[in-house]
Amino acid sequence: MSELRVLWMPLAVAGLAVLVLLVDVLAPPDRTARTGRALGWLVAAGLAGALGASFSVDGSGRAALGTYDGGAWTTFVQRLVVGAALLGALGALDDVAARTPKRQGEYWLLLLASLLGMVIVPGARDLVLLVVAFELMGIPLYVLAAYAKNDRTVDGAQSRAGEAAFKLYVVGAASTAVTLFGLALLTGMAGTSSLDGLAEAPATPLGTLGMLLVLGGIGYKIGMVPFHMWVPDTYEGAATPFVAFLSVAPKVAGLSVLALLFVSGLGVHRGAWLPPLGLAALLSMGVGNLLALPQTDLRRLLGYSGIAQMGYVLLAVAAGDAMGVGMTLFFLAAYVVTNLGAFLVVHAASGGGRGHGLDAMHGLFRRAPFLALALLAFLLSLAGIPFAVGFWAKLYVLLAAWRAGLAGLVVAGIVLAVLGLFYYLRVLQAAYMIDEEGERATPRASPALGLAIALCLAAVVGLGLWPAPLVDAASRASVDLVHPSAPVARR
Amino acid sequence: MNEHLLSVIVGAPAAAALVVMLLPSSARLGIRLASLLGAAVSLAGSVAALVGYDKARGGLQRAEDYPLVPALGVHLRFALDGWGGPLLLLTGIIIVAGVLASWTLGKRDKEFFVLLLVLVSGVFGVFVSQDLLVFFLFYEIAVLPMYLLIGIWGASHEVRAAGPFAFVWKRFKVGDKQYAAMKLTLMLLVGSAAILVAIFALYLQSGAHSFDLGDLAAARYPRALQIAAFPLLWLGFGTLAGVFPFHTWSPDGHASAPTAVSMLHAGVLMKLGAFGVMRVGMVLLPEGTRFWVPVVGAVAAINVLYGAFCAMSQTDLKYIVAYSSVSHMGVVMLGAATLTAAGWNGAVFQMVAHGIMTGLFFALVGLVYERAHTRAIARMGGFGTVMPGVAAFFTLACLSSLGLPGTAGFVSEFLVFLGAWQGGHLFWAIPGILGAFVTAIYVLKATRAIFWGPGPSEAFHDLADARRTEWGALLILGTGLVVLGFWPRLLLDPIDPGSVHHLARILAEVAR
Repeated sequence: MSELRVLWMPLAVAGLAVLVLLVDVLAPPDRTARTGRALGWLVAAGLAGALGASFSVDGSGRAALGTYDGGAWTTFVQRLVVGAALLGALGALDDVAARTPKRQGEYWLLLLASLLGMVIVPGARDLVLLVVAFELMGIPLYVLAAYAKNDRTVDGAQSRAGEAAFKLYVVGAASTAVTLFGLALLTGMAGTSSLDGLAEAPATPLGTLGMLLVLGGIGYKIGMVPFHMWVPDTYEGAATPFVAFLSVAPKVAGLSVLALLFVSGLGVHRGAWLPPLGLAALLSMGVGNLLALPQTDLRRLLGYSGIAQMGYVLLAVAAGDAMGVGMTLFFLAAYVVTNLGAFLVVHAASGGGRGHGLDAMHGLFRRAPFLALALLAFLLSLAGIPFAVGFWAKLYVLLAAWRAGLAGLVVAGIVLAVLGLFYYLRVLQAAYMIDEEGERATPRASPALGLAIALCLAAVVGLGLWPAPLVDAASRASVDLVHPSAPVARR
Repeated sequence: MNEHLLSVIVGAPAAAALVVMLLPSSARLGIRLASLLGAAVSLAGSVAALVGYDKARGGLQRAEDYPLVPALGVHLRFALDGWGGPLLLLTGIIIVAGVLASWTLGKRDKEFFVLLLVLVSGVFGVFVSQDLLVFFLFYEIAVLPMYLLIGIWGASHEVRAAGPFAFVWKRFKVGDKQYAAMKLTLMLLVGSAAILVAIFALYLQSGAHSFDLGDLAAARYPRALQIAAFPLLWLGFGTLAGVFPFHTWSPDGHASAPTAVSMLHAGVLMKLGAFGVMRVGMVLLPEGTRFWVPVVGAVAAINVLYGAFCAMSQTDLKYIVAYSSVSHMGVVMLGAATLTAAGWNGAVFQMVAHGIMTGLFFALVGLVYERAHTRAIARMGGFGTVMPGVAAFFTLACLSSLGLPGTAGFVSEFLVFLGAWQGGHLFWAIPGILGAFVTAIYVLKATRAIFWGPGPSEAFHDLADARRTEWGALLILGTGLVVLGFWPRLLLDPIDPGSVHHLARILAEVAR
């Protein structure tokens, strides 16, 4: 029975998926977009319930032969991905219902399957479970990326969702193979597939190669330079509400794997993985920020900005101590609400055939003041401007990295952040300063989409004004994974 | 109420901004009254803070402490030192005058007042913050709304791009409408980045797990760190203070900003930069200060003279005032670099004096521009006959600008040059005094060309003088200049213990 208690979150998500499947099969087939939304609301309600329950259910302990741990760390990451799924479901609800009123069960089922993988990943304490969960997360995403493949773009061309999905799939499959090979080498080094065993193993050359391969494999999934090429193309091609989810939740899971493997498992070998990780962080910050500058498609712009954001959070992982892990979590929490919100605003503002270019934002302040205000908050948060949660996130990450002796990377990060401000300000310029008098229809966010944006906005502003509770929670969760007094191998 | 006075001063504009945000945009009068009320509460609070400051006791008073992120030692710590009162008063005066001067704004006024009030909350916050990180937070809040304020309501498109920024502009095909706003924001944020790096270095080196300015000042930093960190703080904050050669955002930015924003920016925001250099850079890093102070002083002297010469060659009225700000901020930095009580008193007094004076200048330029629709001096002339009130106040501002005894400008320049002399810095004092002389030439030339020469020409016969609320703005600022000129003790009494308190730390450290 206690095993079930520890495993309650994966079970709850799986149960919700089964429920959705049953409702979809048993409900009458003659559904319109209107009645069809009910399924989306059911998913959202279920996820909200799970999120709420995570504050009262104590799942700490080990289960499944010691391969799954349900402690504070796991719960924190689970809250992040479930929260992201909830916001993503609210944001996608109308889009899905309008696109395929008769087949939307597929969308939700795939989404929940992917989420099931995400909630297992942080709890995995065994490399085999880790890989299985990680794949469970990844495979449904390939399908979901192609969801909008019958769309037409503004100028009537075939949508690029097919290309988006194909790129995501090919890259994802390659990364899986690389990750698996790396994990095999690590298992060989440790003689066991358990994470605890990994921490005690002496380093071997093949083990070091394994670390590099795993870093590359996970790096693909989170869009880390030099494995980032799929990001802008996929973001541009897939349906925007799905991209909102894709741009945050898998990255949370991917980074939790990095923290699990490298900081918790291979912390003593920091000397081996720090140089490549630090270099990847630097490249991500540089390439992301610089290539975002000339973008004129908002989805590509946010894609490159996301690559840059990954660079910053990798700095916290590179710190390699409890504070670094805590700040990784805090950064990810901020990133989820901010980036998801930004994509949802882009989706809402592009309604009515306006496309996703910078010019789609023209005059937004007048056409949709609420969307404009939300966009302002999200972009400032992404840019790391005070009193938006993104400022604290960047601050903590940089502080943790500096404390761990990475001052050079921190200075580079700050300089690049200022450069990056330019492209965020350009979007604001389009939304607030350029106005063509009333020639296009006013976009109207549907209730669900509006609710999702409002929740993100409240989180960005609220946590920006008072970040203390979240920082404390993230720190507690990190202590669960990495004891603050654990010996950390310095460079 | 009384023990939360500083929170009220900082919070009132923010609360007013929230109220304005909730009002419908059709409630034009309501928006203005709410903004004015918020500003007035802060002004009244500032007066109370200034009057209630116990000069005999000195030091930090009215301390308030709210934990923000206790895990890292970040606290919302407010307290008033000797400098705080006068600077709060300046900010209060300028924002009230700024709201009055924007009364006739006719474009998206709800957003305008919200941003203006948020910005001024940030300014108040900087002057009373005793926690370095919170100081930086408020500093950013004061700087960032500028982008939207200038970009949306300003005449940014009238400023042509030049230099490296123009290159970037073309490359990214941004269009040149928001050039000045973007240039200003990016330059100031590069400065902020430098400040943030220095803050990190100090926080982690001090080992105190606290951002409290007192704790940070009590820690001892290695000499190498001090020498490396001081330029970051000096140039980081100094960018906002218009330190040469990082002043280039200022003329473009001020020339393209709407009236109230120019008033606030030149009147108050540039002071944040100078205040930051003194309060953070110099007080926390005594050894770094001693090492770099010859450079700081020399650059300040260049500022004074170079700004004055630039102003002399301008033909656009707003550019003249903008370059004069660069020149006058040089006086502030010059005073700071003397490391003498007289110099520091003069520097802080100059912040207030120049703030009020330049606020008055920009208010008047805005009035003239609104009526005449031109800022080209060559087309003006003889305006004194049609707008006598504006002409009188403009002349008053000019007299203070050139440092005529009996105006606030005289007191500060006198103190600064006295400090430079006492400190044995003749090479700074002489260019400084020369700069004041050049100032006299260009301001008098401009006044004569606009108001007193022959004219006005046909097109300008029906220019109206100041109206209702505009009188309010002019009267508040003009009175301030004269009162401070005749009764400088009003501010110098509290400023002096503040300067002595902060200087004592530096001098003790330097003597060690």
